[in-house]
Amino acid sequence: MTTTTLQQPGAPAEHEEHPKHNLTGFIIFLCSESVIFLAFFSGYALLKTSALNWLPQGVDGLEWKTPLVNTIVLVSSSGTIALAEHFKNRENMLLFRGFWLMSMAMGAYFLYGQAVEWSGLQFGFTSGTFGGTFYLLTGFHGLHVATGILLMGLMLIKSFIPGNYSGGEQGVQATSLFWHFVDVIWIILFLLIYVWQ
Amino acid sequence: MTSSSTRSINTTAVAGLSLWVGVMVLISHWMGEQAHRWLPVQASTAAPLVDDLFSFETAIGTFVFLGVVSVMAWVMLFNRAEKYDDTDAFPIEGNTRLEVIWTAIPFVLVMGIAFWTIRATEQLGTLGPMEHIHVRNSAEEVGGYPGDRLPAEQVEVIARQWSWEFRYPGSNVSSTELHLAVNEPFTFRLVSEDVLHGFYIPAFRVKQDVIPGRAIDFNVTPTREGVYRLRDSQFSGTWFAANQSDVVVESAEEHKAWLEQAARSPLQPGLSLAISEYATRQARSNPGWATVPPAPPPQVNVPGSPSQPHQA
Amino acid sequence: MTIATFPPEPKPEPGWGRYFGFCTDAKVIGIQYIVTAFFFFLIGGLLAMVIRGELITPQSDLVDRAVYNGIYTMHGTIMLFLFIFPVLNGLNNLLIPTMIGAPDMAFPRLNAVAFWLVPIFGFLLMASFFVPGGPAYSGWWSYPPVSIQNPVGNLINGQGMWITAVALSGVSSIMGAINFVTTILRMRAPGMTLFRMPVYCWTAFAAQTLQLIGLPALTGGAIMLLMDLTFGTSFYRPQGGGDPVLYQHFFWFYSHPAVYVIILPVFGVFSELFPVYARKPLFGYLYVSLASFIIVGLGLIVWVHHMFPSGVAQWMRNLFMVTTMLIAVPTGVKVFAWLGTLWGGKLRLTTPMLFCLGGLFNFVFAGITGVMLATVPVDIHVSNTYFVVGHFHYVIYGAAVMGIFAAIYHWFPKFIGRMPYEGLGKLHFLLTFIGANLNFLPMHPLGLMGMPRRVSSYDPEFTFWNVVASLGAFLLGVSIIPFLLNMLSAWIRGPKATHNPWNVIGLEWLLPSPPPEDNFGEDVPTVISRPYGYGLGKPLVEHQDEIERKLELQEASA
Repeated sequence: MTTTTLQQPGAPAEHEEHPKHNLTGFIIFLCSESVIFLAFFSGYALLKTSALNWLPQGVDGLEWKTPLVNTIVLVSSSGTIALAEHFKNRENMLLFRGFWLMSMAMGAYFLYGQAVEWSGLQFGFTSGTFGGTFYLLTGFHGLHVATGILLMGLMLIKSFIPGNYSGGEQGVQATSLFWHFVDVIWIILFLLIYVWQ
Repeated sequence: MTSSSTRSINTTAVAGLSLWVGVMVLISHWMGEQAHRWLPVQASTAAPLVDDLFSFETAIGTFVFLGVVSVMAWVMLFNRAEKYDDTDAFPIEGNTRLEVIWTAIPFVLVMGIAFWTIRATEQLGTLGPMEHIHVRNSAEEVGGYPGDRLPAEQVEVIARQWSWEFRYPGSNVSSTELHLAVNEPFTFRLVSEDVLHGFYIPAFRVKQDVIPGRAIDFNVTPTREGVYRLRDSQFSGTWFAANQSDVVVESAEEHKAWLEQAARSPLQPGLSLAISEYATRQARSNPGWATVPPAPPPQVNVPGSPSQPHQA
Repeated sequence: MTIATFPPEPKPEPGWGRYFGFCTDAKVIGIQYIVTAFFFFLIGGLLAMVIRGELITPQSDLVDRAVYNGIYTMHGTIMLFLFIFPVLNGLNNLLIPTMIGAPDMAFPRLNAVAFWLVPIFGFLLMASFFVPGGPAYSGWWSYPPVSIQNPVGNLINGQGMWITAVALSGVSSIMGAINFVTTILRMRAPGMTLFRMPVYCWTAFAAQTLQLIGLPALTGGAIMLLMDLTFGTSFYRPQGGGDPVLYQHFFWFYSHPAVYVIILPVFGVFSELFPVYARKPLFGYLYVSLASFIIVGLGLIVWVHHMFPSGVAQWMRNLFMVTTMLIAVPTGVKVFAWLGTLWGGKLRLTTPMLFCLGGLFNFVFAGITGVMLATVPVDIHVSNTYFVVGHFHYVIYGAAVMGIFAAIYHWFPKFIGRMPYEGLGKLHFLLTFIGANLNFLPMHPLGLMGMPRRVSSYDPEFTFWNVVASLGAFLLGVSIIPFLLNMLSAWIRGPKATHNPWNVIGLEWLLPSPPPEDNFGEDVPTVISRPYGYGLGKPLVEHQDEIERKLELQEASA
């Protein structure tokens, strides 16, 4: 009985297995992460509907026009990131990087807009349940936007490594999915906080 | 041949099984009766409902438990592998009819218990908070309440870390010992000045968490004279275990007399075991881990006795 | 696939040092989880001895009340987050890849990170005993406003450390859950459809799904609690307009499913072991598997039954009573399936089997008190009393921990490569069964009589049953000794195990004991029949005879 081991080139074969798993794992993670936001949303709704005095003293409501502009910018960045992916699949690295960078810039503009809004507000984190939930929701979301920009930056850098994309698409797909997720969360947030007043 | 012997085996099996089921029914019924003894005396209109439900559940539960355990005992006694027998048993992978039966019967059983319970509690109406009124801030709950009250006597219950204060606004009386008239409905209004507490009188079978920031209305009708315990049931901090009071249920005349006497008594510090224990603790050279200090004892007409015996 | 190369030539045994480092082999991580968990089990158990020592007399005379509150809080916290969840993750790591024929978990490095978070947050929790003000003391629930009172007034305080530790535990668990679910969905052996998968994998799959859905809600609620505690926000603070009951909803939305996360894998263990030790197929495998997911669905819509006495409306109480009662149905399906498996079998009362039988006995009792607790009027009387403490200890110690012991004795030969000692095992079982029943049965009359839980002192009429319970607790404490002795001596010098000492039909038993680092590697057998085919005479995989022969040859030459 021969015991010659059939040397299969294991490494690429294994790598072919794992990318499938990476995206699966990431999608499962995103589903779980959405539950945190759902918890915050339901907390906000419950506190708002059962409060005697919802808005703090001296606050009449939230200004919604500038946040609406920020919303349009953020939602459009989902479009640009989808375009970027489209061009990457067509192997047009120049347009891929271009639209990818544009999405990052739009995300950064959103964060800047958020910071400007925060600095102009008349209430703080500890100003009752309204202050607490407002800053918690927008802050937690902002953290996710910042994370998304960071991930996009990482993917952008990696796109300059030659031959990285035989097996590296997963990162771009995952980051793009994350960005869409962040956008959807913002839309719900905007409706909850700025529209439902 | 075997036909007659299989028929007689079947008859024996059926007879034996029926006998055992009969025994289990008897034991279950007996356990249901015993269940009443494990509970405190029944001192309110809610108590018979709770006890009967618990007794019924005990009986059913005993039957199920005995059924499962007798199957386990049988197989452990009569379905053991022989010492050196490594072979497999006769394979049975399932039986769909059995699956349906043992899904349907428990379903009907639990739904039956659930709906019977819902109907019974609706009839009784003492369980469940009547309404929640949100209190703006703690200052508003002292004195001055909205006038939407029920005709029954009102007792305001103020829970603190770590004492219970009872106020009878109609008679201008306050106390740290709860007095109620037998067979008369009472409405409690429960408020807390600090953290969550639990208003629990085991003899009445009632419990309601006291939530700071809310006033909760709650009805009870005591049905038996005696002295019972009120215990804090929602963990409220260091002296949680000591946050207990006595509940005195007395005749209507005695109750009226007590109220009149109390209204004439001067105010004095009410009962709060936490106060004395805290003083002792802090006097030690190393008092231990930091604790929230007890709220000062409420000033009341009747502090009550710290060591009177109670029945439940 | 080449049969000629399987099983692989045995490599030199890797050093035991890898158990102390960052190792990505799921089998090593599994052992790391289990040993770490038992280390904390001993600490949590010691705390329990202090609790029962205090409660053997009515007065608060053993420790200061503040100390008692910290101890009972940490007892619960340690037992849940540092023992039971890690030990179950340990079993998952050992069993899931080997049972489905995968070489490892889907994300081996994530797996190792998830494990190493455990000693980190464990250290954080232990350290909280030594900060000013002591550890968290508001129970493992940490209900506000008590939990945000912060009497010591420091930024670094026991409660804040508690919240951080629990958050880290959540991160670790979610990492694990992503791993387990991806592995089960994506890495099964050829021929192993979902309905040829062992029930343990089904229940693990169900449990980890619950973790993924429930944990983030707890995390959200805990973040808000931490904000209230540390920054003075008012999510739960009534003076600022907050609502303490809101926290309860967040807390229980996770913590109720958490109990199914605990018991489902144990159900899986029972479903695996009863067929082996009765030499009969699992009765109604399909229904048992599906019942796991019905429990998941129902388990997510019952949480308010922990809040019946709080300020929830009557219609809500009725709704959640109905949903809670419904869970008895799929659970009953499993219990009856086990009875059907045992009936007409050829039972061998080995240590694992005894623990399963004892666990089933305790579980049925706990299930009955559970149905009692589901009915609102009874629950109003006994909630927050020792009746509940008795109920959940019957489930957790009486059923879950006994199931975990059964699993350890059963799979010890496979993953350690040596046989545990039967005599010590049976002694362990006897002491555990008697101790657990003595400790937890008296809690039921205590609760019915009206003794609240979490008390450091009680009225004298409760003395008798408390003394009995305390004696049972001390017996339980002693019962762990034969277990530790057994594990240590069997690991070091137990008789070597063959690849299948219990004669199990299962994929992991077609590996050597212990299995090589990548399990089947590239040579995964193709599964051709359902599991538990005892008495049916069908092989589990293709070329099963050859695989068995090779393993026997290897064992003979060793």
